Amino acid sequence: MIQETSPTSIIIDLIKVTKVYAPDVEALVEVSLSIHAGELVFLTGMSGAGKTTLLRLISRMEHPTKGLVEVAGIDLAKLPQRSIHLLRRRIGMAYQDFKLLNDKTVADNIAIAMEVAYRQPAFIEKRTRELLHQLDMTRKYSTRTGELSRGEQQRVAIARAVANYPEIILADEPTGNLDAETTAKVMELFHQLNQNGATIVIATHDSTIYQQATHRIVTLHAGRLRASAFGSPTAFSDTRPNEDSAPTEEALTS
Amino acid sequence: MNFIVILLRQTGRNMFHTWKAQTMIIFTVALSVLIFSFFYLIYFNALHLGEKLGEDLRLIVYLEEEPVESLQEEYRRRILRFDQVMRIDFIDSRQAFERLERQLGQDSDILTGVPRNFLPPSIEVYPVPSLNHLSRIKRFSDYLLTLPGVVKVQYGKDWIDRFYAFIQLMRIVTLLSGILLIMTTTFMVAHTIRLTLLSRQQELKLLRLVGATNTYIRMPFLLEALLQGLLGAACGITALLVLFNWIKLQLAGPLPALAHLPFTFFPWPIILCIVLLSSLLCTVGSYSSTRKILQL
Repeated sequence: MIQETSPTSIIIDLIKVTKVYAPDVEALVEVSLSIHAGELVFLTGMSGAGKTTLLRLISRMEHPTKGLVEVAGIDLAKLPQRSIHLLRRRIGMAYQDFKLLNDKTVADNIAIAMEVAYRQPAFIEKRTRELLHQLDMTRKYSTRTGELSRGEQQRVAIARAVANYPEIILADEPTGNLDAETTAKVMELFHQLNQNGATIVIATHDSTIYQQATHRIVTLHAGRLRASAFGSPTAFSDTRPNEDSAPTEEALTS
Repeated sequence: MNFIVILLRQTGRNMFHTWKAQTMIIFTVALSVLIFSFFYLIYFNALHLGEKLGEDLRLIVYLEEEPVESLQEEYRRRILRFDQVMRIDFIDSRQAFERLERQLGQDSDILTGVPRNFLPPSIEVYPVPSLNHLSRIKRFSDYLLTLPGVVKVQYGKDWIDRFYAFIQLMRIVTLLSGILLIMTTTFMVAHTIRLTLLSRQQELKLLRLVGATNTYIRMPFLLEALLQGLLGAACGITALLVLFNWIKLQLAGPLPALAHLPFTFFPWPIILCIVLLSSLLCTVGSYSSTRKILQL
């Protein structure tokens, strides 16, 4: 079963994790990374660097080819199928491709994450309205997500990921389709959740969101962990990786 | 509590979004229940009628000659030995003649000059009402034939034969329509739920990603099927009740004799059983589909 974690303990631990997609595409190679509870980490790197794969391994959407992935003290390889829902309820993930149900309303899409945890209908409605207000989408409550712009869909995906107050939030390119003003609002929401104790991993190649940040920045290149430091990435620009043989994003997520 | 509220909400939402398919399923289930319960109602009433007629059943054992007191005692002892015999009456030749006279009424003149002992003496055997099974009556009749001095045993064999052949036929028809009910409800529901599941693969995948349990995913489909079975059966039984009353009304005019026959509709326990059976079959259909498609 999933254990409770103390604020200072390691909540996500990857030890020498390798992920190889058929036939022989190395998405991650011997990546070791520890993230503490309550930490906000930026996972950076070019397209195809392995950011998405790493997030998918943490949420157990994928199994590593080699190595150990532990979340909240649990070796995910040993987590029985019947207990995966307990892990997933503690993780909120904003997917790069949004994974929205286009024939359902914005409210329905956000409510899903809370409904599966059997939250009270009154709570679900209040929380949905609160998130939409924070993301400047109050008027879209009853709009079908298929009718929204990409930027709006992205915000719905983020709202769904954070709706159930998960302990861990994994955001895959959460600002990819947003303008500067909306990006700031989204980042404000993440910071607010982080201050309330959530562990957040943001995979991004948008340097504007982490340039001024004081949080840890982890850089991946061609599936290898190249740098992990606090503050601006310019601080370790000398470790900037070469750009050879990086697998494409499509190849990694297919 | 939250579980129930969310379950009902999910089920209601599913049913609302697929109301056309839902209507088709409920209609099919209702039709299957109507066909099955129609034949079952005929069978049920035939059995009921058989019981009523069985109450008036008697076997007439014709004797070679008038039994003396000791032989009467012997007959009484050997016939009453069977639990299924309620009472026996000895009818001598004179009593038989008087009965015939009464039956002929004004035409009794034709018996003028006929000896009053020309009819054979007999024993009237009244079985208990539960002795309504043809094979058992036959066996009992065969036994009576083995008694000394018995010439013939009569019990309206022809109509009993026909009546029980009809009951046998109805039993087969009811069984076949029952199989039809099972097949249509189970397969129809299973197939429709399967299509629904396939069309909602994306949503089901997402539910798993956000931490839905198997129960959370499966329960709305099971409840949906249960409701389909319940509604379908309720519609089918209601249609049968309307049909039953209409037929009774139509037949009462031209065939007033039918009005005296004990035709009844199903009692509540049978109605409840049919509704429960229908709901169960639909749920089983849904269960098998969800198990297969969701790989639970």
